[in-house]
Amino acid sequence: MSEGAAAEKERALESAFRRCGDFIPEMLHSVVGKNLSDARVQMVWEHAYESPEAYQRYMVHPFHANILDRYLLNDCPERIVADSPLGDGTLVGYSCEGPVYFMDHGLRKVVLFGLEGTAEQQGSFVEALRGLATIQDGVTLSVVEPNTFGVAWFDGVTPILPPSQWTHIWELGFSSAETYDAYQQGDSPLARAEASGWKEDGCDAVRQAVELHYTVNL
Amino acid sequence: MAYVVDTAHVDPVDAQEYMRILETEAVPVMTAAGAGFVSCWGTSPELGEEVWIETVWSFADHSEWNQIRKNMVLDPRWYQYSEKTARLRTGGTRRFFYAAPFSPLA
Repeated sequence: MSEGAAAEKERALESAFRRCGDFIPEMLHSVVGKNLSDARVQMVWEHAYESPEAYQRYMVHPFHANILDRYLLNDCPERIVADSPLGDGTLVGYSCEGPVYFMDHGLRKVVLFGLEGTAEQQGSFVEALRGLATIQDGVTLSVVEPNTFGVAWFDGVTPILPPSQWTHIWELGFSSAETYDAYQQGDSPLARAEASGWKEDGCDAVRQAVELHYTVNL
Repeated sequence: MAYVVDTAHVDPVDAQEYMRILETEAVPVMTAAGAGFVSCWGTSPELGEEVWIETVWSFADHSEWNQIRKNMVLDPRWYQYSEKTARLRTGGTRRFFYAAPFSPLA
């Protein structure tokens, strides 16, 4: 949020995000979270669409232009958001066959990665991330996908921007804040790697990473 | 036709500069993006109160606005003038208006 943004405007934006699905039925699984990590990001909005066509209907819906953009677009007198420290990570997303990300309660952890190196290095790292849900107590899901959406935000399909610095998105679900804390403070290889700034063996592909986490309560 | 009405509140000493940025930077960017430039009005700067500057842009429908919006945000000049006007503004609103059937400007 911009420095000095009025609390009532912040609440109005959060409310607009939460009410969006009431006006735009194409929107699925909308969650607004308050980021609890050290990253200089306050509010997170996650939402999904059945198809690119459904997303395109959201894009042209009057609620989008009238209400959401009021608080977001740079030239709007009522803009309350600041330029994000995430750069083009302000908007990220991916395609999936079904709602693999879905959780109706618990704690969501999102890590944006900028990966580099060989396909093999990246592939083995991604597989290790994906496998976490099968070996870690309290982890209800672990999804890793390339960030294909951020550069294709206009229609959800066609890239209109250069490749993002954030190549991949890692979404984790924890059953509770306590299981999140237990994981973060635990000695699993991935938790240790994250604590080290992704400098451990097996993390050669990580150029940069940023972590957000927030409570989900539908 | 639909209209975007931006109402900016500025200190009277900044009103002329705000108008200058609108004329020389915002209008070229917005019209290049596809918006119609309808009007720009200001209240008097000589009344000892904030000046309100109202700028009106037109578009055919929300599909067209979506295209205009895309063109705006892909234009680096849009960010530049938006930053300048934001610094001068003390408040304001953006609202979308749709003409009443009896309106002469519809």
